Amino acid sequence: MKHGAGGKWYLNARNYSEEIARKYNLREFLLEQYKNFEQIPVRKVAGINPVGLGYKLRIPIIGRIVKRTAERLLASRRPPSNPFRAEGHIGQVVPLEDGIAILETCAAEPIIEKNCMCRYMSRGVKEACCINFGVMSEIIDKLPRFIPEKGKYHLSRSEAVVRFREHNRRGYIGTIWFGPYPYINNLCSCAAPECAGLRPRLDYGITSIYKAEYVVQLDRSRCRGCLDCVQACPFGVLKPDETQGCIKADRGRCFGCGLCRHACPTGALGLQPRDLVPELRGRY
Amino acid sequence: MKPRLPRLPRPKGRTRIEIDTSICGDGHEVDPRACGRCLRACEPAVFTLHQSFGVEEPNPYDPQFWRITALWPCLCTRCLKCVEACPAGAIRVRF
Repeated sequence: MKHGAGGKWYLNARNYSEEIARKYNLREFLLEQYKNFEQIPVRKVAGINPVGLGYKLRIPIIGRIVKRTAERLLASRRPPSNPFRAEGHIGQVVPLEDGIAILETCAAEPIIEKNCMCRYMSRGVKEACCINFGVMSEIIDKLPRFIPEKGKYHLSRSEAVVRFREHNRRGYIGTIWFGPYPYINNLCSCAAPECAGLRPRLDYGITSIYKAEYVVQLDRSRCRGCLDCVQACPFGVLKPDETQGCIKADRGRCFGCGLCRHACPTGALGLQPRDLVPELRGRY
Repeated sequence: MKPRLPRLPRPKGRTRIEIDTSICGDGHEVDPRACGRCLRACEPAVFTLHQSFGVEEPNPYDPQFWRITALWPCLCTRCLKCVEACPAGAIRVRF
């Protein structure tokens, strides 16, 4: 199953199963990966040093090769081999409802909430907001720096739903990650610019994360023009429409995270399945 | 909810951000994990806190093996807040 293959890959319980974890020997692989996790962003990939990547991408032909190499690595479907690379570590934005569906139906026990490593690496702050399942939970048990000092660490399904909803309402983008393909073990609540998964996509145009299966739908008749949603959208999709006294949405740029809905007091914003919008179908 | 800008202005030309590892990180008594002021001062989050290289490292949790690198210098807005924030004056920005 992959994105856009008809149906949502993240709602396929097989991708969370013990069977896959055993098949690819993920217990060892992930332990090795997470022991030295904070080195991965500064490690050379295919001879390319990621420090100053933006300048390398600007070089005419080499830039394109670098971009393709990065995309092929992230979207790799081969069995994971090197724990020091982000092989097959690709994600997709999920709105609140899908995140809850994952936690209620698919996520493998035990469920934990660990410190976000992106925020730790880019801000030096430990904030518990990554929900992990299955094998990943066992690995984090062995790595104390990821375990939140206060608050709950092991969560039940319903507690995880409550936490995910809290993060989403606070303006964190729900994302689900392969880690590595085809095993799903991470339901993150990300924020730009800290998130290492959103950064390549937003700042460099490298497809490191797919857009959600949804796009924003605006009911103009209900919009009062308060512009609260403009602040809430992390991707700058919603803009004031001065002539009509409401807002306008650039749906081509919408990631479908659904955060704008929490800000709207009149319920003018909703989500529409991407498949039903002909011009955006298949454009992740 | 705090307002977020998806894109900050990017100046033309290269910005070189150097952190003197003899002052901050790698074997020095200052643990970059305990300070981290440059990380928080930078609006586009150019800096990354990471373990230094080498799988052969005896202990990845040893504070002496942590350092900060400017991983995304092309996003730098040249506000120089990191230079102001660094208590040891380890950061140099050239452009």
